[in-house]
Amino acid sequence: MGNPPANSTGTAGLTATEHRLGNGLRLVLSEDHLTPVAAVCVWYDVGSRHEVAGRTGLAHLFEHLMFQGSAQVKGNGHFELVQGAGGSLNGTTSFERTNYFESMPAHQLELALWLEADRMGSLLAALDEESLQNQRDVVKNERRQRYDNVPYGTAFERLIALAYPEPNPYHHTPIGSMADLDAATLADAQSFFRANYAPNNAVLSIVGDIDPEQTLAWAEKYFGSIPERGGKMPLRSAELPDIIGAQIREVVREEVPARALMAAYRLPEDGTRECDAADLAATVLGNGMSSRLYNRLVRHDRTAISADFGLMRLVGAPSLGWMDVKASGGTEIPQVEAAIDEELARFAADGPTPEELERAQAQLEREWLDRLGPVAGRADELCRYAVLFGDPQLAFSAVSRILDISAAEVQAVAAARIRPDNRAVLVYEPTSQSGTEQDEAQQNGTGQ
Amino acid sequence: MTEAGVTMDFYPMPAAGQVRPWAFPSPDRGTLPAGLRFLHCHRPGQQLVAVEICLDAPLDAEPAGLDGIAAIMVRALSQGAGPYSAEEFAAELERCGATLQAGADFLGARLSLEVPASRLHRALRLLTYALAEPAFAATEVDRLVRNRLDAIPIELANPGMRAAIQLAHELFPDAARISRPRQGTAETVARIDAAAVRAFYEAKLRPATATAVIVGDLTGVDLDAVLADTLGGWTADAGAPALIPPVTAADDGRVVIVDRPGSVQTQLLIGRLGPDRHDLEWPALVLGTYCLGGTLTSRLDRVLREEKGYTYGVRAATQVLHSPAPDEGTGASLLAISGSVDTASTSPALDDLRTVLRTLAAGGLTDAERDMAVQNLVLVAPLRYETAAPVAGTLADQVQQHLPDDYQANFYVRLAETSTTEATAAAVTAFPEDRLVTILVGDAAQIREPVEDLGIGPVSVVPA
Repeated sequence: MGNPPANSTGTAGLTATEHRLGNGLRLVLSEDHLTPVAAVCVWYDVGSRHEVAGRTGLAHLFEHLMFQGSAQVKGNGHFELVQGAGGSLNGTTSFERTNYFESMPAHQLELALWLEADRMGSLLAALDEESLQNQRDVVKNERRQRYDNVPYGTAFERLIALAYPEPNPYHHTPIGSMADLDAATLADAQSFFRANYAPNNAVLSIVGDIDPEQTLAWAEKYFGSIPERGGKMPLRSAELPDIIGAQIREVVREEVPARALMAAYRLPEDGTRECDAADLAATVLGNGMSSRLYNRLVRHDRTAISADFGLMRLVGAPSLGWMDVKASGGTEIPQVEAAIDEELARFAADGPTPEELERAQAQLEREWLDRLGPVAGRADELCRYAVLFGDPQLAFSAVSRILDISAAEVQAVAAARIRPDNRAVLVYEPTSQSGTEQDEAQQNGTGQ
Repeated sequence: MTEAGVTMDFYPMPAAGQVRPWAFPSPDRGTLPAGLRFLHCHRPGQQLVAVEICLDAPLDAEPAGLDGIAAIMVRALSQGAGPYSAEEFAAELERCGATLQAGADFLGARLSLEVPASRLHRALRLLTYALAEPAFAATEVDRLVRNRLDAIPIELANPGMRAAIQLAHELFPDAARISRPRQGTAETVARIDAAAVRAFYEAKLRPATATAVIVGDLTGVDLDAVLADTLGGWTADAGAPALIPPVTAADDGRVVIVDRPGSVQTQLLIGRLGPDRHDLEWPALVLGTYCLGGTLTSRLDRVLREEKGYTYGVRAATQVLHSPAPDEGTGASLLAISGSVDTASTSPALDDLRTVLRTLAAGGLTDAERDMAVQNLVLVAPLRYETAAPVAGTLADQVQQHLPDDYQANFYVRLAETSTTEATAAAVTAFPEDRLVTILVGDAAQIREPVEDLGIGPVSVVPA
């Protein structure tokens, strides 16, 4: 291939070691002395897919409670101590896991380990009704800000619900419903912690300017005495047919600024060659400014403002392929949809050209460099592969797996999966006229 | 400690280890024959190289009635250039695994490239075509114009963006470019065509007023040779630097509600004008602003989020708008508090926010708050600048703001020397309770009366 590899040392030069404490806590260490920083990341093997009916949003609400203090850390102390030490921190909740991370100046690594251990072992000593009430309000405002008060804000939630029908555990998104957030009790939070926040249900990764022996000794000292626990609830089955079977369609009439056509496809599970092929297919179709959908809809037909196709990798259920096209001016949805169908059918029949495959591989390679370059991103990926696949080293070979995929494999996955009977379509039709014609009354432009 | 039968061994909080040395990188400088200046920094291990091109095409240089042309012009640079059509150019760039972003602001225009080091040469060649030989084909410019016209209503529907537009409109005189949206209005954008874009390009873009910043692992890269082969090919006459007028603002206390019926939240944006980074008090302002609203343990979120649960988060921040060389006059920044609160909590949140400001003015910051802020802002630097792109971004900011190359390095020293009293004074001066313009994007029918009852200045309502 005419494209030189992005680098010879990049991800190929990275290494990690694995360890396990007596209580089952898995550790992954990766040394990197380029910058005096160290990233700490903890993945708990619990996400919104573990939630039960009537308690959607509990995993995420609980993530907020992890920052409300533990036996030796008062109130917001976790935030104060990390930031006061020159670190940054946060936590996030997805379908399949909950992660917590601190990026520290290297000389403050021990503090981050002490803090993570304190809440892993003793959160319930500090968790009270007042914190729960407060963080419930915060999370409800998070939901309003990110989903309910912005145009198309609930599109993702709707698409997920269509592609993963009840009672699939992926049917609801991590933010949960307002009613379920209201219904969560202190007892729910306590039993959620006992069931899921055990050392034997977690992976701790530490990446950066570290002394591995000293780091292991600290991990043993602070985490080693936290007892192993059983009692994790079994995961409900997420098994679904590879193909939805018939196109599903939902039309939303809302006050949105432009017509939109979105779609969700069931794609292969992460960890398979087919998933990497699907990632390349999505990239060729709708990632970047030389993609098929962009060239057709935005450049040539000029019927769309934007045209994207992305992949959300999932391990325990089919991955989600999502398409998002915002229509231009007065363009009607059927016109856009016909062009999309034509492009997707052509791609499924012929697959990518050699040039397209080369570009898609170069783009994904850059994304991986971007992800694995900083210590925090690397720590997160090591946890991901350790928790979801049992092998953190897979993080370092992700790029080579992508580069190993052939055009025929990309074509095969497109033909098998990216087709009309495997999609849930969401159409937005504006209720006011402002989105369908240029509104002369509009005095203000934008862009700030 | 025993809780539900769970026990563990507890240890006292560990002390910090020995701080390991780190300094903000010091760039090397050079100039190409046509006058293009460049800064470069070798950052070992950073395989993704970041390139910033600073262009002297600030929004104030846009021709009257053509607001938005600077943004369209820098975007159009890559829509066909040299031997490549628009589609081919995008494909070549992506073949390098590169990303290219273009934008224009009050300080100037910028192109930002990121590319794996092994493909830097190829990507710089593409960038040079864009700068030196843009095609500006009528069909491509027309497409960008139409795309922009489509994007305007989408952005206006976003409460945060809508608030920012209204605040600029309220603060600055109507005649000033800075009072109007950065990327223009439907009316001005519709007037832009390829001829106007080319004329603006020819008037404003030239190597002698541009600066390139290149940061990353440059092992094995003969940068001088690469630059001579690429950006060195961009030539033009010297031209003259763009003139940017000073900024004035009307900050008498008032409230403007942008009516968005049915909103479940109110977007708050509270602002006024402050100094730029040349001001000796800038480090104190940064410290004071952080203590007020830099994070969720700052004063505002301590009350509004962590005590009351009104919001997912409220932040105070500064944004430099005008930064001439120090001998040319006074620069300016926007000082702003922003966030969103649920509709019913709008008035209580504003009331609490004012109480926070009043308490700060009356009692000042504590030494502990100041110390924690300094620790965070100074010690976080190695993390913030771990990869190439943020280093390149900061160096490019320094160029556009007429600051010396060692500004950021010295800034950390100055932060550490700033006292609690100085930080308090800067924060109190920055956010005086009675001289703040408050924009609320929300449901006027629900929030107007309760906000009027607060007595924080005249309340007006405008349509969304």
